[in-house]
Amino acid sequence: MSIVDVEGLKYKYPDTDKLVLDDISFKVEKGEFIGLIGRNTAGKSSLCFALSGLIPHFFKGAYGGKVLIDGAEIKQHDMGEIAANIGLVFENPFSQMTGSKYSVYEEIAFGLENIGIEREKMISRIDESLELLDITAIKDNNPFDLSGGQMQRVAIASVIAMRPDVLILDEPTSQLDPQGSAEVFKVVENLTNEGITIIMAEHKMEKVSQYADKVLLLDNGKIIDYDTPANVFSRDDLLEFGIAAPVVTRVAKALGIKDAQSGEYPVTLAEISRENW
Amino acid sequence: MGSMTLYVEKNSIIHNIDPLTKLLYVFVSIAATYIVPAHEFVLLVAAFSLLLLVLGKVFVKILPIIAISIILIISIIIVQGMFHPDNETILFSVGVITFYQEGLSYAALLTLRVINMLSAFGVLILTTKPDELIERLIKKGMSPKIGYVFLSVLQIIPQMRATMAKITDAQRSRGMETEGNLLVRLKAFFPLIGPVVLNSLNDTRERAIALEMRGFNTKGKKTFLNESQEYPYRKVMQLLLAAGLIAAIMWRILL
Repeated sequence: MSIVDVEGLKYKYPDTDKLVLDDISFKVEKGEFIGLIGRNTAGKSSLCFALSGLIPHFFKGAYGGKVLIDGAEIKQHDMGEIAANIGLVFENPFSQMTGSKYSVYEEIAFGLENIGIEREKMISRIDESLELLDITAIKDNNPFDLSGGQMQRVAIASVIAMRPDVLILDEPTSQLDPQGSAEVFKVVENLTNEGITIIMAEHKMEKVSQYADKVLLLDNGKIIDYDTPANVFSRDDLLEFGIAAPVVTRVAKALGIKDAQSGEYPVTLAEISRENW
Repeated sequence: MGSMTLYVEKNSIIHNIDPLTKLLYVFVSIAATYIVPAHEFVLLVAAFSLLLLVLGKVFVKILPIIAISIILIISIIIVQGMFHPDNETILFSVGVITFYQEGLSYAALLTLRVINMLSAFGVLILTTKPDELIERLIKKGMSPKIGYVFLSVLQIIPQMRATMAKITDAQRSRGMETEGNLLVRLKAFFPLIGPVVLNSLNDTRERAIALEMRGFNTKGKKTFLNESQEYPYRKVMQLLLAAGLIAAIMWRILL
């Protein structure tokens, strides 16, 4: 059974006329990494909210279709239950700090306290996520004293510690400086190796093509394509959807470098250097 | 970054007392000074509160707090000393201003009460970590939501102040006058407060989302990372405080 199963999802925000999600259907298998791409206002964030239950529980408005996570329909469960199974990290690291805790360690504990994890288990999970996100050195700092990249890693650690089935990252690096984004992407790579199911909305196509098993291209609330990075980025009409393919792909297109068997353009540096030219 | 807490990190007997016992002390000592309106008694309670501050090594920190309330105390002395309805015995006159003994005596009582109130709260606030106090209260059954509001305010208001400073700088760099006479400042107020309010509304929405995703609305039992600390003589102290309050009430009823 697919871990994420979206069927005919439609949604519009209250007091608006436009469907921001228009008949979306797709499936994600356990352990897959899905890159969610599309121009601004394409519906990426709304889709992230819908997958994490904030639509329809936090944002009201007209809702249709089904979102099933691990077989359970989001709409039938309340946010408290959903939060234990789905993690969401979004752009602004600052507003993801609760503000009620005085150290990184306690900040990560916040979610675990809420869902009622026993103390011993809590401690081992916190230590584990500190390790995974490479923030053990700053565990006693005040969350608000950290740099953007560190704060965002704390935000991810706080969510990861809750052991979600699916981790949703909504442009986790768009408000960070290059160093901060590099830090975050490094830990995202760690997470992919852990076999966590991840759905990441992202504008940096190089990163998407590097990590993603599949890419979901959204435009105007509709799914344009849902396929492997090579297939999606080999499309000729990408620019129409406000997407620029990774530099590697663009170079390969210009030079006419194609994989002989599949007829696709390479999407990562590793692939292009494998070709013998 | 600064937090608004007045807590002073030190190691003292008072720091090691259960926050709830201290909270109870605040309540009992303030109530007692109202139940028993005798100068000697109120003086004794106020002195005891100050003694606790000395024991907690935070006596110096209470002085500026008392200093702030000096305006209140002076106005109490002037108003009561000159205009208390029971005023009969003239104590002294300065020109047309006459101070009476009854009024000044009552003013002294009020002043002692104010000082006791400040010192008792001082004992609680200066020697107790806010998060520890709130966590104790939540464990005793206070709503975690109310606890969250109290705690987050302490950290988020300094953050908003920092945002305000950033926005002021940004507007200044575009040539907006923010300093000068009242009219200039008034004109600068709206372009400053607009972004601040919008910004914090947006932050609040995002923080609400983050809290939802961290299971803040989960029904069922919460657990705690920090174990309940065992405080020596907690029961004895609380019983003594309760007994003190009952004794004060009895005194009032019987005598």
